[in-house]
Amino acid sequence: MSPDILDEASEIWFGPQHVSAHGWATKLTLVGDYIVECDPNAGYFHRSAEKCLEFRNFRQGSMILERICMMEAFLAEYPYIAAVEKIVDLEVPERAKVMRTIMLEFNRIHSLQFWWGQFAGELGLFAMLLWPWVDREYTLDAFETLTGSRHTVSYETPGGVKYDFTPKFLTKMEIALSRVKERMPVFEDMLSGSPTFRLRTEGVGHYTLKKALKWGLSGPNVKACGYPMDLRKDDPDPNLAYDMIDWEVPTIHNEDHPGECDAFDRLLQRFKEIETSLDIIDKLLPLLPEGPIVDPKARAKANRLPEGESYGRVEGTRGVTTVWLKTMEKAQTPWRAKIRGPCFASYYSLKHIVPGARFADFPAIFGSLDPYPGWWDR
Amino acid sequence: MVGSLGGNEMQFDFFTWFGGLWDWILGILLWFWGIIKWLVIWILDIINGIWALAAVPENFMFLFRAVVMPGLIFLLLALIFTVWFTRKIWARVQDRRGPTHLGKYGGYQLFADAVKLMAKETIIPDKAKRWMYRILPSLLLVIVLIPFAFIPWDPYWNIMGPPGQAFGDLSVSLVLIFALLTAVPVFSLLIGWVTGSKYSLIGGFRSANNQFASEIPMVISSVGPAMLAGSLSMYSIVAAQTSIWYIVLLPINFATFLVASIASVGTFPFDAPVADSEIIFGWRTELSGIYFTVVYFAEFAEQMLYSAIMVALFFGGFNGLPFLPGIVNFLIKWLVVYFLFTVVTSSFYRLRQDQIVHLCWKYLLPLSVLNVVLVMFAIVYIPGLLPLVIGG
Repeated sequence: MSPDILDEASEIWFGPQHVSAHGWATKLTLVGDYIVECDPNAGYFHRSAEKCLEFRNFRQGSMILERICMMEAFLAEYPYIAAVEKIVDLEVPERAKVMRTIMLEFNRIHSLQFWWGQFAGELGLFAMLLWPWVDREYTLDAFETLTGSRHTVSYETPGGVKYDFTPKFLTKMEIALSRVKERMPVFEDMLSGSPTFRLRTEGVGHYTLKKALKWGLSGPNVKACGYPMDLRKDDPDPNLAYDMIDWEVPTIHNEDHPGECDAFDRLLQRFKEIETSLDIIDKLLPLLPEGPIVDPKARAKANRLPEGESYGRVEGTRGVTTVWLKTMEKAQTPWRAKIRGPCFASYYSLKHIVPGARFADFPAIFGSLDPYPGWWDR
Repeated sequence: MVGSLGGNEMQFDFFTWFGGLWDWILGILLWFWGIIKWLVIWILDIINGIWALAAVPENFMFLFRAVVMPGLIFLLLALIFTVWFTRKIWARVQDRRGPTHLGKYGGYQLFADAVKLMAKETIIPDKAKRWMYRILPSLLLVIVLIPFAFIPWDPYWNIMGPPGQAFGDLSVSLVLIFALLTAVPVFSLLIGWVTGSKYSLIGGFRSANNQFASEIPMVISSVGPAMLAGSLSMYSIVAAQTSIWYIVLLPINFATFLVASIASVGTFPFDAPVADSEIIFGWRTELSGIYFTVVYFAEFAEQMLYSAIMVALFFGGFNGLPFLPGIVNFLIKWLVVYFLFTVVTSSFYRLRQDQIVHLCWKYLLPLSVLNVVLVMFAIVYIPGLLPLVIGG
């Protein structure tokens, strides 16, 4: 860009008090209606979660993580549990493995329901903002029946899960899932079937697979380019039940631009994610074995951990979520816990995706990447 | 007495001077009193003249119509109803309930909102032009309310009566309405400019862009009814629809007018000027308290106005069920059109500004021009049409 273009540029802050910036601030340089520079800034949502983890024992730590991103509470707390289970030798019962997997997938559906609404609201259709959130109430009801809490669930624990499935919960989950299945065609009509939606998202926020991998994107944002990079398949966790069943990694293959994706492809990708999650839950529910739900010695074993270092990770809704844990001998708390959220990469990739777009496209771009400030500020 | 000037020197007698001093002061006071008296008499004369004018039956009825019914007070009540109606429709479309608590079905919600907004502190930014900031929102409301004078609510009971009488409808009232409405985005742009924020400046320019895109298709869409009726007066256009409503003859013109008027108001899905996920609240970002309230009312008044114009141009205005008063006919149709307007606004994604111009100029403009051409051919070549549409 030649310097004389920047003479007429004006800088505008998108956040931190902006109604659409949920606790973040991006400095945009505008020339006319076009964005020529985008400078994402982190640090407006910092709550020192990593430091807090150093003062919680290994059964409490996961509750800090689910407060980072409440939309995917089950998924957010799992990497910590996985890291603890790698350091200490815990035997997770089969029933707990299946239950965990079902809840992770159920939570993924919930998070994507929330995202549908948020994305549509950013594009200016308030009916579509509220319709998925009405359905989401059924899901939250099911969460509440199972764990007693709608958002901060604290369901998983080292060595298993805390609460067993009750018939009431199973009924509520079935209601919620059938509601999702019933309304999927409606939402597909209202999002991908709507001509005004296509006008706003097609060809917007364009990047190639190579760049996405270079920027460190993961999850749906990479899978939308047609590359089946999924932790559930690539590195199946021994304490989860993904390898017990047959399922396909959802990817989008767009013939117009193979190996690339725009905002519209990322929406279709997330639709496919929901379909896959529904499929996994349907296949896992009949396999639910009888038995205990937690390792009987989990409490004693997870009280003091041996010296070690481990890396727990899970395929979250927004990408790969990881926790690195280091413990000292007979430690009651971690020596250091490092959280790597999926959204840091997607937030800072705005710097490369956004320049050249119109100002009005900016909500469509960041909305389709599904950033959540908790994940980069922690 | 003999002095150096031969008896012509001035004699200063203190007591004479002192005795005359009071007369002098009294003279000044009387002079001031004269001015005040003259002013008071002048004002009383003016009031007297106005009173005499107002006492003329025609004038009095005009004043009554302009202030009470269907003038200012009627419009205010209609505005209150409209806000409630809009919020309810919006809520139903969005799977919510809308206002429920205050009054029957939440009918008093607007009063609560208005009291809350007026009680709020008015924060004027440092960079704002203060007196412009204070005066522009009210001017915007006034410029939106003036065109209501030309809406033919009823065969007789209008603000401007039937043409030919005293205070009759103007022969060019349709053009005058559009001329006044063109000023609305100018005020939006000015408000965006003087309130001292980049968001509001961008919003102001986007508002001007909206009007730039939608004005021409809207005006050309209104040419069809005017040609069929053979008049540019709103009253005559309505009066010509006794036999057949123009919606039957010009459905495409109605559609283009509806879309263009939504774009002109700048509400969803053409709400790029106030897009909250991009520029917070557009040109209204820095308005607070009573100024925001006034602008909020102005937006609803504009939506009401466009619905009323559509009823007059396409739905036969006060024509309808013969046993009902004209204004009731008008209001029923107005409710239906307003419902249509609101449902359209609540079911599309927001368009980008360049897409708004694309839509208006590539689709609405050719359609409306085509319809004008069709009307011209129809008037010339269909022999039975003209007596039918000119009708009463």
